[in-house]
Parts: sequence; structure tokens; C-alpha cells
Amino acid sequence: MKKYETLFVLNPSLDEEAIKANIEKFKGIIEQDGTVTNVDEWGKRRLAYEINDLTEGYYVLINFEANPELPKELDRIFRISDTILRHLIINLEEK
Amino acid sequence: MLKKNNRGNRRPKKKVCAFCADKAETIDYKDVSKLRKYISERGKILPRRVSGNCAKHQRELTVAIKRARNIALLPFTTE
Repeated sequence: MKKYETLFVLNPSLDEEAIKANIEKFKGIIEQDGTVTNVDEWGKRRLAYEINDLTEGYYVLINFEANPELPKELDRIFRISDTILRHLIINLEEK
Repeated sequence: MLKKNNRGNRRPKKKVCAFCADKAETIDYKDVSKLRKYISERGKILPRRVSGNCAKHQRELTVAIKRARNIALLPFTTE
């Protein structure tokens, strides 16, 4: 098990329920083969540059522990989710 | 002798790496306000000779800034 961190940006035009559902969905994917240690919702934030004509994004940070295969799968799912504007997965133990 | 030195090659005071002084172990890409100090007005990363960082921390800083750019916390360029 390794420590990872993921930060992703959701489309801000989603309503609260959809945002919740999305976060739960990604938590569920992580929990298939790992443990979520912390979820931090930053909420709406101005983007430093426009993405698809949007100026805001809904930022969510999740810390988790998992085996090295999981981030790959998570990355694949992030890429095919159209509610995700940007995502980043980082290995916290890497130095 | 002293006068000549002042006129000629004036050497600026040696800067100390801010991250070494802080004893920071890692540079967090999420800490936007801190990272902003190390980018120019146009959004470029400041060189080491300007920021005064040590090589080790400058390397970590560039990684952190690039991560922040990727996730739209920092701009790639600004008009």
C-alpha cells in the first residue's frame, strides 16, 4: 500500500447532488482496492485559465492508500468522465 | 581601494534559499500563494539567480509549479 493524493476539478455547473454523486463515485472506485484517508472539498475556485470557456471549477482533494495498480485505473476513469475538467494523481512517498 | 570596489564589480548580497531557511521538506503544489512568489508577471518561473533558491529546492519548485499549472491553480501565461 502506498500513499497517494488526487486533486480533480469538476464542472461547476453541476448541481449539488450531482457533485456529491460524483465524489461518491470516485471514492467508491478507490475503495474497491484501497482506503480513503481524507476528502477535502475546496469548493468553487477561479481557474487560472479558461477551460472549455469555464472560468470556475469545483476542486476536490482526496488522500488515499492503495496498491500501485489503482492510480492507473483511476486515471483511466478520470479521463473518460466528462464531468472532470482536470485531474492529478500524485504519489506522496515519491521523493 | 574601497571606492574602486564600489564603482566596479558590485556584487549583490548573497541570497539564501527561502526553502532551506524554512527547513521545508517538500514544496506543495497546492500552496498557490507561496508559489506565486516564484513566478513572473507573465507566469514564467523565476530563475535561480533571481529567486536565490538552492538547486535542490529550485528543482522541487519547478515540479510544484508545473503541477499547479496543470490543474489550473496557476496560469501558463498571462496577457
